[in-house]
Amino acid sequence: MVLLVGVVMLLPRPAAAAVPDPTEQFRPFLDKVTETLADPGLKSLSKPEQSRRIIGVVRERFDFREMSRRVIGQQWRNLSEQEQNNFEALFTQLLQYAYVGKIDEYSGQQVQFTQQRIRGDRAEVQTLLVDKNRSIPVSYIMLLRDDQWMAYDVIVEGVSLIRNYMEQFSEILRKDGYPGLVRQIEEKITQLEQEIKKN
Amino acid sequence: MNRMTNRLPAIALLLVLVLTIWGLVSPAHAKVDFLSDEVYDEAAASRVADPIEPVNRVFFTVNDKVYLWVIEPVATGYSKVMPADIRTCISNFFYNLGEPVRSVNCLLQGRFRDAGRTLGRFALNSVFGVFGLADTAANEFHLPPVYASLGQTFSVWGIGDGLYLVVPLLGPSTLRDFTGTVGDGIAQSTYTPWNDDGLTTAGVQGGRTVNRTSLHLGEYEEIKSLSFDPYIAFRNGYFQMRSKQYNNSGATK
Repeated sequence: MVLLVGVVMLLPRPAAAAVPDPTEQFRPFLDKVTETLADPGLKSLSKPEQSRRIIGVVRERFDFREMSRRVIGQQWRNLSEQEQNNFEALFTQLLQYAYVGKIDEYSGQQVQFTQQRIRGDRAEVQTLLVDKNRSIPVSYIMLLRDDQWMAYDVIVEGVSLIRNYMEQFSEILRKDGYPGLVRQIEEKITQLEQEIKKN
Repeated sequence: MNRMTNRLPAIALLLVLVLTIWGLVSPAHAKVDFLSDEVYDEAAASRVADPIEPVNRVFFTVNDKVYLWVIEPVATGYSKVMPADIRTCISNFFYNLGEPVRSVNCLLQGRFRDAGRTLGRFALNSVFGVFGLADTAANEFHLPPVYASLGQTFSVWGIGDGLYLVVPLLGPSTLRDFTGTVGDGIAQSTYTPWNDDGLTTAGVQGGRTVNRTSLHLGEYEEIKSLSFDPYIAFRNGYFQMRSKQYNNSGATK
């Protein structure tokens, strides 16, 4: 018996055992998102309140700091701590308004987990969003923070949200600099805010 | 007329030559791995040259107006009278007609299994799917659609994109891919019955576009409303989406 334990202890520990399973962590989170979206009580709230509630849930598994850092690119290091905090808040708000329109569209679509890949402290969890007539592939790119997988990019039908914004932002940064970018995001948020009020 | 026919091989040769030179200038397609940070590098974000951006932007605006003022309203009306199931069937029908061309492209790329699979899909869907109205091959025989195009074949042969193009009525493309789209279209016209006169062809293509749009209503406007520079957003989206199509079919080296 002792010998057996000794042998087991001598065996190299499988590397995967140390790393938590990304799908296992992400599944309850996505369940919670769809539950929140399906909650009839949500619809009775005002639009800004709805989006605040959703973003509160999303924050549990999305690293908005990492998203902000990546979407700005190399210039991120040149920003002061306060500018970085400010940008993170602004970018979060942009995503919040961008996706509040989705709340009304949600009609019980299901999420299927298809595959996952892990490499070092990165992982990709691939899912299918199953709609009535078709299913849309959605992937989440994650980073391991301590023992928690945190998403920093969403890839819909092969298009990365962060890379798409990154190319647009780098053009704005080149032409108008960081203050210009902040101004444009603020304008976009105001515009989206007004569209939401109209509906 | 005769002189023109005599010149055709020379024109074809010239085209291949031009494409090859472009291929040498611009690197062939590289695989995207989202787990590596390189895909997030700014330098890699836009690899395809866009030297005629001002012209492209004009056509982007033209396409935008054509979509918003003509195609989208027609597709919206159409979607109200035609049930979604039937629209999906029509979409399947057109897709099925492209399978033989896809199969040939697979052969040209050395993807022999995929070539067989697309032909198998064509046979199954034409017979059991009633002229391709249903995707029986995917639903019952576990043969999902395979992506293949002439643009991709050129890419496998090492020909680069050349430059980014916004084609009137067609949208984002590149010199190489647009050449491929035209080639695929010509190949398909050899066995589809509606190419006797230009008007019928245009009618069928228009109908197909309206049908396709009716299945994706609102998506274009949404992406546009969330973007800061729609021209760049759609250019970037086009390349990212294409990269997935090319990679998933296992054609890229």
